[in-house]
Amino acid sequence: MAASNSENDSKNEIPSSSEAEQPQFQAIRMPTMEEIRAQEVWNNCAVRSVVSGVMGGGLGFFMGMFLGALDNPIMQDEMTGRQQFVYNVKQMGRRSLSSAKAFAVMGLVFSAVECVVEKARAKHDTTNTVVAGCVTGGTMSARGGPKAACAGCAGFAAFSVLIEKFFDRHT
Amino acid sequence: MAANNTPAGIDKEQAFGMAETEMEYRVELFNRLAQTCFNKCVDKRYKESELNMGENSCIDRCVSKYWQVNGMIGQMLSAGGRPPI
Repeated sequence: MAASNSENDSKNEIPSSSEAEQPQFQAIRMPTMEEIRAQEVWNNCAVRSVVSGVMGGGLGFFMGMFLGALDNPIMQDEMTGRQQFVYNVKQMGRRSLSSAKAFAVMGLVFSAVECVVEKARAKHDTTNTVVAGCVTGGTMSARGGPKAACAGCAGFAAFSVLIEKFFDRHT
Repeated sequence: MAANNTPAGIDKEQAFGMAETEMEYRVELFNRLAQTCFNKCVDKRYKESELNMGENSCIDRCVSKYWQVNGMIGQMLSAGGRPPI
């Protein structure tokens, strides 16, 4: 299959009198070792999960900051404007850090589990997403006992399947 | 290669014929390997151009198995006609 295709895709020479907008077809090149290694970096489970964790942390940071800014202090009448501002800033910082940590852990666990499961199964399915979502939801709500873990597992699995279907519709 | 001209009575024509047969065998092997592993591992409803991780590991395993079995069968065929029972 590959040996016969290379003849069909040989270089198409366009006469030099045509304009520059016409597309030039080029021969198929085999990827070089650097290109292969660069692609292999992204296939590594550790790299993927760390990058996902960092992205989750960034997202959580901004979300926490935004939600923290909306929070109003309890003793609003007694504080001056400056005190309210300082309180608000501290609240934003606290919430953004905790939210960033939570989202980073979520992204890390989800991406790591999905990568490992997909490599083990050697298939690209929604089952990988379901298992990864279940494990992530379970670990995040594991403190509430087994019932909460089951509920978190089912809920997060359903949520991640929905998100994946939503993103797949665009491509 | 130009220095050793006459290895043990095989002339140039025969060597060329053997090389051509070997080349045809190799090309056929590669084409069949790529076809088999592609049909086995890649989902026909193309969603993106890159191979995702599941397909990558499936292709790795498929090629490894194919190559191993090919080597085993080649050894069995070359070691003699008798099937080992």
